[in-house]
Amino acid sequence: MENRCENLSLYIIGELSVNEMAQFEQHLITCNHCRKEVNSLKETWQMLSYDVEEMDVPESLKAEVMDFIFQENSTESLVKAKGTENKESSLAQAKAAENVATSQVQEGELKKRSYLDWLKAFLGKQFSPLSTGITAVLLLGLIGLFWSNHQLKENITVLENKASSQTQIVRTFDLKGLNLAAAASGSAYLLEEDRDTVLVIELSKLPSTKDEEVYQVWLLKNGNRQSAGTLKPDPNGNGIITSRLPKDLSFDDIGITLEANPNNTQPQGQKVLGTS
Amino acid sequence: MAVLFSIYSGLYLIKLLHKGENSPVKSKTDEELIALIIQNHRPALEELYDRYVKLVYSFSFKLTKGDREKTKEIVQQVFLRLWTTKRTYNPLQGKFVNWILTITRNIAIDIIRKEQKQPGMIQLELNEWWQMEDRETEDVPQQVSRNLLKQQIQEAKQHLSEPQQRLINLLYWEGYSLSEIAKLEQKPLGTIKSRLHQTLKILRNYFSKETGGVPHGK
Repeated sequence: MENRCENLSLYIIGELSVNEMAQFEQHLITCNHCRKEVNSLKETWQMLSYDVEEMDVPESLKAEVMDFIFQENSTESLVKAKGTENKESSLAQAKAAENVATSQVQEGELKKRSYLDWLKAFLGKQFSPLSTGITAVLLLGLIGLFWSNHQLKENITVLENKASSQTQIVRTFDLKGLNLAAAASGSAYLLEEDRDTVLVIELSKLPSTKDEEVYQVWLLKNGNRQSAGTLKPDPNGNGIITSRLPKDLSFDDIGITLEANPNNTQPQGQKVLGTS
Repeated sequence: MAVLFSIYSGLYLIKLLHKGENSPVKSKTDEELIALIIQNHRPALEELYDRYVKLVYSFSFKLTKGDREKTKEIVQQVFLRLWTTKRTYNPLQGKFVNWILTITRNIAIDIIRKEQKQPGMIQLELNEWWQMEDRETEDVPQQVSRNLLKQQIQEAKQHLSEPQQRLINLLYWEGYSLSEIAKLEQKPLGTIKSRLHQTLKILRNYFSKETGGVPHGK
């Protein structure tokens, strides 16, 4: 026992072999004297490290240390460090198996980590903080440009839609059948778009036409008649006609006649529908 | 206009990111930084570097007797060790500063005396680490407490005899083993062992008398 107690200071300064250390730790469990002494002497030993003049650290050292850790040592030195760690862990034999398992897990993680570190180091090498900043600013500017361009396009689309949707009905006419087309009826809508005036006439139950016969639309103003187009009904007697009118044209009534041929400038046939 | 806005907001964003990266680690404790390092958080390692490099550098500088190249090598190895073996650190087991100094000394002696010492002798830090307990008050600003400790050690050393001072110097600062010192001093190993024990006791008694810093055996 006395012999073991002698090893106390060797234990504190870390100069025991692996076996001797394990033995001394066993001894610590049973020896009150050593157990009382070990911590305070240990701290005394450690306090010696404060007997140091403070030095100024070179500014460049940090970059060198970080480069050393994150670039040059991506794999080789890490594995080396792991190697020594494993040796250490074998000191505590009871924990050996556990440590080996842990260190294997760590090796795996190490590989993953080293790839990540490599990537980080690679990016770090390619881009200095300044160029990263400039790149970021340029990218943001670019995104800003795309964004404002997109906004502009959207605005234009909205404006276009607005323009085309500004069609509105100015007047509505009811058309009633007369004579041989007494059963027919229809509606006429005078629409105003941006620059144009459009007349849309929708007719139903029209008697069918023969050969060159057409229904012709006339616009009446103070007894004057102006043609606004011709149409042929479908087999069910429905017909529709859309005429674009000159901007300054005005009229009071609409008349529709059945003409024997489509190119008349004045009505020759019988009136079959009208607004009044 | 939009471009100007983008650039401005970009700069603001960069500033924000920059802040976000720096300010949180500054306010963290050593233990919280270790936890971040375990998650491979590089800024946390850089923060620990900023906190301890002066101490590690000064300590290494003395251990290498002012060899700047070796000092750099030691500092690199210490922080590499911190990055790679971090899973072995458990904050419950003691103060980080003692851990990093122990590691620094082991690495330094390994580098300085590679050719003279058997490998394995200096790889005891896990066990050393295990022994550490935190008895100092954390409230005292580190710098002040470090300077105080330094003064106390230097005063305590004056209470040592010439051979005792030489022993501490050869053993602690130059990394000689006890048996090497026995040869140098031309004394039996047992004499050197008991001299070491005496020396440590004197230092401990002096520390505890002055500061209560190292209490007598518990």
